[in-house]
This record gives sequence, C-alpha cells and structure tokens, in this order.
Amino acid sequence: MTRTGLLNSRYLRLQEGGLLLVILILGLSLTIFGGKVDRPKFELNSAGERQRVFTTGADGEKVPVFESCNKFLNAQTMAQLAKDTSFIAIMAVGATFIIISGNIDLSVGAIYALASVLSALVFHRFGPDGVSSAQSAVGIFLGVVTCIGVGTLAGIANGAMMIGLKVHPFIITLGTMAIFRGIAFVITQGQSIGNFPAGFRDLIRYETGEGLSLVPLLIMIIVAIFGGVYLTRTAAGRRIYAVGGNEVASRFSGIRVEWVKLTVFIFSGLTAGIAALLSIGYYGAATSGDGQGYELNVIAAAVVGGASLSGGKGSALGAVLGALVIQMISTGIVILGINQNYSQIIIGAVVILAVVLDQVNNWLSRRRLLKG
Amino acid sequence: MSFIEFRNISKRFPGVQALDKVSFSIELGSCHALIGENGAGKSTIGKILAGVYTADSGEIWIEGKRVSPANPLEARTLGISMVHQELAFCPNLTIAENLCLGNLPRKWGWLDRKEMLRQAKALLGEIDCPLDPMLLMSMLTTGQEQMVQIAAALGSGSKVIVMDEPTSSLSAHESEALFHLIEKLRSRGITLIYVSHRMEELFRLCDAITVLRDGQHVSTEPIKTTSKEKIIHQMVGREVLFKAPRHREESLGAKVLEVTNLKGRQFSGINFELREKEVLGFGGLVGAGRSELALALMGLDPEATGHIIVGGKELKPKSIRSSMASGIGLVPEDRKRQGLVLSMNCRENASLAGLERFTHAGLVSDRQERECVEKYTSRLRVKTPSLETQVASLSGGNQQKIALAKWLVRDCKILIVDEPTRGVDVGAKAEIHELLDELACSGVAIIMISSELPELMNLSSRILIMRDGKLQGNLSHKEFSQNAIMRLMAGI
Repeated sequence: MTRTGLLNSRYLRLQEGGLLLVILILGLSLTIFGGKVDRPKFELNSAGERQRVFTTGADGEKVPVFESCNKFLNAQTMAQLAKDTSFIAIMAVGATFIIISGNIDLSVGAIYALASVLSALVFHRFGPDGVSSAQSAVGIFLGVVTCIGVGTLAGIANGAMMIGLKVHPFIITLGTMAIFRGIAFVITQGQSIGNFPAGFRDLIRYETGEGLSLVPLLIMIIVAIFGGVYLTRTAAGRRIYAVGGNEVASRFSGIRVEWVKLTVFIFSGLTAGIAALLSIGYYGAATSGDGQGYELNVIAAAVVGGASLSGGKGSALGAVLGALVIQMISTGIVILGINQNYSQIIIGAVVILAVVLDQVNNWLSRRRLLKG
Repeated sequence: MSFIEFRNISKRFPGVQALDKVSFSIELGSCHALIGENGAGKSTIGKILAGVYTADSGEIWIEGKRVSPANPLEARTLGISMVHQELAFCPNLTIAENLCLGNLPRKWGWLDRKEMLRQAKALLGEIDCPLDPMLLMSMLTTGQEQMVQIAAALGSGSKVIVMDEPTSSLSAHESEALFHLIEKLRSRGITLIYVSHRMEELFRLCDAITVLRDGQHVSTEPIKTTSKEKIIHQMVGREVLFKAPRHREESLGAKVLEVTNLKGRQFSGINFELREKEVLGFGGLVGAGRSELALALMGLDPEATGHIIVGGKELKPKSIRSSMASGIGLVPEDRKRQGLVLSMNCRENASLAGLERFTHAGLVSDRQERECVEKYTSRLRVKTPSLETQVASLSGGNQQKIALAKWLVRDCKILIVDEPTRGVDVGAKAEIHELLDELACSGVAIIMISSELPELMNLSSRILIMRDGKLQGNLSHKEFSQNAIMRLMAGI
C-alpha cells in the first residue's frame, strides 16, 4: 500500500506540476524577452530606511546612480509580483472552497469593499484625525476584528440565504454583490476614508530587502497552507469534495450537506475580509469602489488553478498558482511593452485556454485508464 | 414475410450482455408483447428499434428492407416512434408547441400561432384526447403526457409504436383510457410493441408474445396458444447459479428491528420484524414502494410516520444520522446517483460514511483510514489496481462492493441493499450473493430488495411481497415458489 500511496502523491504533484511548468516557462520567457532596464539604485541609511544613492558629478552636482538589471527578473519586480499576487491568491483560496463544493460566490468583491470601508471607519476613528483618545493598539485590534468579522458575517448571510431560501447561489450572490457594495456606498457617500493609525500601516507595509512586503506574503502563505490542510487532511474538507462531487450520494452517506455549504460560504467571506484588511493597510485608504471585478479575477484564478465549476475538483495550492499565473501575465504585458488595452483580452484567452488544456488532460488520462 | 424481423441482435453494456443474438419477428398490424424479468433485455430491444440505442451486431428488417436507425429521428422517418417513461417533451412549453416543435408553422417568418393550434387540435382529435393544447406540458399527469406522445407519434406518420412499460406509473383509470386508445390504434392498422411485465394487460391487449430471459430469446408465440403459467415458467426457468446460502442453517439471533405502522410517500401500514442473521427479501414490481420504504427506514423520507424500533430504542424519524447511529446502512438502488461520488477514489468513497472513525481533532488519520478500508475491501474481494483508483473506472460489480464497504466500515448491524446486483455481470453477481450470505452468517441483519425472483428465493430466509405500497404476503422459506411470488406481486 505504501507504494501506491507514493504513486498517488507523485500523481498529485503532477497535477500542479503542469501549472508550475507554465509558471516556469512564463518566467523564463519574460526574463529573456523583457530585456534590460536601468533602475535607480537604493541603499539603506543609518536609520534603516531605503534611500537613493547619489554621486557627485563632474560639475559638483548630485547625480543619481542607476544600475542595469533584467526587466523582469529583479528584486523590485519580484516583490511587486509577490504583493499583487497575495491579495488575489488569498481570495482565490476561498473561491476554490466554494467551487469544489459545486457552488459559486459572485459577491466576494463586494464583501471586500464592505469590509474595507467599515473597518476603515474604525481605523480612521483611532487615527491622527480621529476623535478617540484610546491607544492606537486598541484601535488597530478593533479595526482588524471589524474587517474580518464583516467578511465572515457576509459569508454567513450568503450561505444562510442560499440554504434557507433554496435559491441558486449564483442568484443569491448576484443580489448580495449589489447589496453589500450598495451598503458600502451609502455609508461612505462615495468618499475615500483614510488617515489610519500609523502603527497599522507600518505593520502591513513592513518591508524587507528590496521592498518585499512580508506581511501580505506571509498571510497568503498561511491562508494557503490552512486551506490546503483543511481540504486534504480534515474530515470537513473531504466532505466539501463529496458534496461537490455528488450531493445526493453525500446526503445518503449522512453528510450534513447544508452545513458543508454554509462553511464554504463563510470561508469565502473570511478570505475576502482578510484580503481587504491587507489592502487597506497597504494603500492607507478605502472607498466603496474597492475590489470592483475581483469576484471574476478570483474565480479565474481558481479555475486556472484546476478547480472544476461542476464541483468536486480543485486545490488550495492550485488556486495560489492560478493567481500567480494571472498576475504574471498582467506584469508581463507591462514588461513587454504591450499596449495595456490588450491585457483584458489576453487574460480572458488564458482562462479559456487553461480550462481547455485541463479537459484535454482529463480526456487523455481517461483514455489511458481505459487502455490500462 | 414478417413485417419486422430482428436477426441476431446483440448489445453489450459495461459489465452486462444486455442482448445476446436475439431473433424474432413481428406481424403487420399486431400488438406484440415483450416480456421478461428486470434485466432480461426487453426494453433494450424496443429502444434499439426506436433508435435510442444501436445494436452492436445483428440486423433489423422492415418489410423486406434492412434498416439501422442510428437515432430516434432516423427511426421516426422510418415510421417508428417510442412512448417513453422518461421526459420526452419540453415541460416549459405548451402541448401545441411541443407537438409542432419539429416543424413549427410560420408565416412571413413569424410563428403562426393559429395554424399551430389548429394542427395540435387535429392531432389530439385523432386520438379523441380532450386536452387543451394551450396547457403547459409540466401540468400534465404521466398518463396525459403519454397521450400527447402517442398523438405526436401519429402526427409524424408512425406505423410502429413502441410502448415501454406504459402502465407502470398510471392509475387504474388512466390505464383503462390507454387500453381504449390502444384498441383504436390497432383498428387503424398501427403495429404496436408493448413492453411490460404485467401479465393481465398482455393477455387482454396483445396477439403475440415474445419472452426474453437474461438477454436471450426464449419463445415467440401467439397469445392464444400460451398461458400465464407457461409464460411465468419461461421467464424464470433457469438453472440456479449459486450454491445454497449457509445463513439459513444457523438459528436466527435477537430481534434487531421492529417496524410498526410505517407510512411514507408511496406506502402505508407496513409492519415487520427483522432478526440477526436473517436475510429478509422484499419482492414486488417496480413502483410497489419498496425503495421508498428503504429510504424511510434510513431516515430519508421527509413524510414518513410510524415507529421504527432498533435494538429496543425508537429511532428519531426523518433523520439519517439517527438511523446511521443505530447501525442501519443503505446500499441504494441507483449506485451512480445515490451510492457513490464518482469523482472520488475507492478509499474516499468507502470511508465517506465513517470518516469520524478515523478523525482526531478534525484531522483524518491517513494510516487508520487506509488500514480500515483495506480490511473491508479485501474482505469483499474488490478488484481494483489500488485504493486510489477512481471509482468511476471500476466495473459495476466492484463499484457495488465499494458501496457495500462504505457501510461495513461503520460496523453496520442492519444492512439494506436495494437491487444489489443490478447492472452487474453474472460472475460478480454470484460473488455479491456469497458476500451477503457471509455477512448474514456473521450476524448482520439484511433487508434485500430485489426484482429478480431467483435472487430473492436463493438468498432470503423469508420474503415479504409488496404491491401498490402495501404488504401482500409473508412467505417463509418452505413456501417459496416462483408461482406464489409472481401471483402475489401481480395480484392474480
């Protein structure tokens, strides 16, 4: 049995192996075709802050120093890619839970916006312009709880309505997508909310090396590991696959199908809340227009990562890699100097291509099975 | 020369030889009955004629010409239609729209509603059907829908109509209306092929009868020269394939299940007891309410009322988790829809109902799961390359064993198996019978629902017969005979 176990894990590795290969090829071609660029040189000063390096020119003026580096494969671009991927990848893990269970959540972008503005109000209150005199640590704590709590509650609302009203999740979340964003708009009157406690922004924007934001990256890794372990190692995770694979057979096996569905919606809302928290910390402001269209981006990432919209298939690692592929393509469009207007067309084509490749792969393996 | 002639028709489905070189012929303008047990191949041959399936080998000749309808549309152009059990229409459209769907009348490119209504009325009028053509299809009863199907068949100029178990979900009144219609069709010279296992209907309606058994042709004769007794004998007369079960020699154990006055969606007034080491067979026709009873025992019928007492404790009604906790397991009728998650592998399917046994602090222990599943799959002699193989790629028999293993993993005390060998080939069938016998010997109480008489008679300690949702008889082992069971099942 150990041999077959080994075989199986090798097979699993192969499943995401395809994606890793795609990422490798993408990375290589961007490195090769991206060419070189001159970037200003930075160094750390005595206070530990990054600052540009200058030399004194022949006429005694300060001249900035540039260094030549690969347009794609350089520390700054990598750090940027890691940060941008993190926000989408966190939500893509949540979307993967939903999709594996055979459901769909269109409201994550709106949940993201609602959690952003509600927690921004809290942060603002404890910020430099705020009215509260309490310690900023308390404020930060309250803000974090608000952001994650709003996400979770919105997920509960989605799940409970879908189960209680027996309406297809596409319809429910299409409705809540408008409702959640509408609430965010009414509360903010379309204004941007900023001026958060400095401690909060410093925490999220904490950088190391050449501008690598550690916090979003770390949280993304934690979410991915948690999601992966939950899906593959826990009984609850197994039940998500079962419900997505065959709801009737799951019910006939004593699985509380409604409960399983509720948990995936909660998880989806929760990940939207986490992503919202990181982004308002990073950008320092929130508006009701945040996260517009994110729902489609995260579904695209999950699908490119191998999740099947008919349910029963997908993985957390796949979702993260799927998000990375999409982000690399957006970055690549900039690096290769392709007209920005084409980026949507290219990303759309990639999503379709990924699913077609997956189907071809399935078809091949089924044929191999039949022959064997 | 015969009107329709089948020559050496063979058809294989995964795991079963549905038809094996079947040859017989049908006379012009007759009503020809096809009879046989479940899985005998009677529906399959009707569906091959109507283009729903294509034969693997063999020929069909109509009026001296060889035909091979590749799909229902082609069959229709040859003048052959089928009245289905399954939904044949768009339920969201009106009768008129459905009847004219193939060729909607148009005027200047727009739909000509008046003409459509006129055509539909004319078609319904042909069979004296009083339905309003503007009714939505979804509002009709099964009987009314059949009428519309027949009207559609006549409208497309069919000379041959295949009817697959037309009365199985009709009320007595609706059946009577259908019989009248059939008489009318015959007077117009339509050839009818009537697939059923309800003897009295066949003797009333048909001129000739063909008996099939295990995919093979047994006999074709005029109805005048045969008798019910003879047909029953031809339907079931076969060698016993398996050895006598051992569980019958052991004395029954303690009472484990007592059902009193159970009523559900399609049955009522059910009372019975079940003991350890007993195999209680449930016989009856399709639609007699046996599968619905099984669902109610499992807590899956939201309308069930009555008392189910397991080991002295009454079950919480309508709760599958309560049924499972008291040791009941159900291997359902429709393996692919209800029994298995086809996108998962053997191990995951086998452990699905018993996951909490290997779960500590939420985490599933891989080792414990694997060991436990392996214990039962090897006991059930599941043939699979590995436990990680997708269950969809296994044969029917091995899939059924995985569905059984799911409940053994839970140490189930009362096992309900619904048509345990449907869609399973002969070898695996004998093996599943042996396994059920072994389980009974080891103390499990088994309820076995089966539409196959030999299976019921060879494996059961006792047989209860259901008809129209009621218990009709309780046969002890000494009273088993095919005739007695058939009579109780059909109510003759």
